[in-house]
Amino acid sequence: MTALVVLERVTFTYAGAVRPALADVSLEIAAGDVMAVTGESGAGTSTLLLVATGFAPRVVGGTLAGTRRIAARRCGVVFARPWTQLTGLCSTVRDEVAFGPASLGLPRAAVLAAARNAMETLHIEQLAGREPSHLSGGELQRVVVAAALAMRPDVLALDDPAAELDPEAADALYDVLPVVAAAGTGVLLATPDSERAGRVATRAVALASGRIVAEGSPAEVLTDTEVARIARAAGCPPPYPWDVPSLLRRVER
Amino acid sequence: MIGYVDGTSPLHRAHPYTTLALSGALLFGAFALTRPLEVGLLVLTAVLFAATGRVLRSSAQTALLLSLPIWILLFVLHGLLGAEPRMAFGPVALSVPGIARALVLGGRVTAIVLGFLTALATVSPHRLVEAMTADGVPFGRTFLLASTLTVLPRMRERATQILEAQQCRGLRLGGSIVARLRALGPLALPLVLGALAEVDEQVLALDARGAAGSARRTALDPPPDSRAQHALRWALLALVAAAYAWKFWRMRG
Repeated sequence: MTALVVLERVTFTYAGAVRPALADVSLEIAAGDVMAVTGESGAGTSTLLLVATGFAPRVVGGTLAGTRRIAARRCGVVFARPWTQLTGLCSTVRDEVAFGPASLGLPRAAVLAAARNAMETLHIEQLAGREPSHLSGGELQRVVVAAALAMRPDVLALDDPAAELDPEAADALYDVLPVVAAAGTGVLLATPDSERAGRVATRAVALASGRIVAEGSPAEVLTDTEVARIARAAGCPPPYPWDVPSLLRRVER
Repeated sequence: MIGYVDGTSPLHRAHPYTTLALSGALLFGAFALTRPLEVGLLVLTAVLFAATGRVLRSSAQTALLLSLPIWILLFVLHGLLGAEPRMAFGPVALSVPGIARALVLGGRVTAIVLGFLTALATVSPHRLVEAMTADGVPFGRTFLLASTLTVLPRMRERATQILEAQQCRGLRLGGSIVARLRALGPLALPLVLGALAEVDEQVLALDARGAAGSARRTALDPPPDSRAQHALRWALLALVAAAYAWKFWRMRG
């Protein structure tokens, strides 16, 4: 598969910071990947998203060392706080979602089609005529994801995208990610939700103090699930089973 | 009330450039008019402008509230320190030319503020963005102007949220002026710091959605313009130019 982003021993330090937010990070994101990124607060997961999508240091400042190759033409990014990602210039959800394609200078019909498709993917067609600033946090979260998708990004980075969603809406959002990836997008997903990430991710990395401490399949890396916690509490030796089927396999053995 | 108010008045329906041109004519016209009667007519025009936009009551109230301290200052300064002759007003003798000067300056300020508030209340930022986009104005300039129109309502909304949150935590707003001033700290600090923190994410979100791109943005629903409105805008420009020409001709005479 085509590598969209390659990081080789990348270290990134924010302007004015003493310690790097990312240290010696190497990874590759290919088309069709759904890569889950986990780590405790301050581990550098959000920074990894910004570095992998090219926004750091270009937009946020700071210094980058190491090798970074971004073959993706367009990168989309979605943050946990959806209200900060509204343009503040659009009076309807349709216009908010269409903002990105309109910025590309596409013909009007193509812009509206891209917005419609993105809204259908996120199941928010019924919100099209609503004022974005009057939406609930959950509705807004889906609107900003749709707005990022409408750009048809080669790489889509999502930082805790279900933070504002109820469990049902969170499930629905995570279910969309493999569909997006199947269309050729590389998805980078920073989340503390190992359960849902494990369900949709094809690969996973765990960060601690800006360094990759584990990399591999979701089963190998996403060990902070309910099942793993129960197994740990029960005195089960590592590696811990991360979901019910793997727990059953261990018990059968 | 400061900020856009949804409505169907002629000013709301007019092309945004036309409403802004009317407001601009009040602003520039104010400095060309130098006699109390002329400025009185200017204030009357500003009142008619607000009435046409059906925002007279709210805009006039705010305009008076904002310009009242200036009126008081002008009357005190020019009335007491102005040139002879003087007229007795109870125990004080006020300068007649000083009072006339204060009327001119105060009238100008009121007309400008009322015109600006009316434009704020009747020009939809979204329609303005669409109009500017249709004209091929670079997004940076469009964003700058539209943000100026939306910054006050957004800050007010945010301030209300912070105020409610702080009151839930025991902040008391009543009492003496000193106590009220002291209560400003817990309001102003989160307001400013929160706005600064969110700006970073908004810049990233706008950048990710192609706002900084070089392509000419597609306007989705540009507001309709007409030959009559176009002619009116040119006529306003000519009127302001004529007012300045008259002012300089009088100065020379």
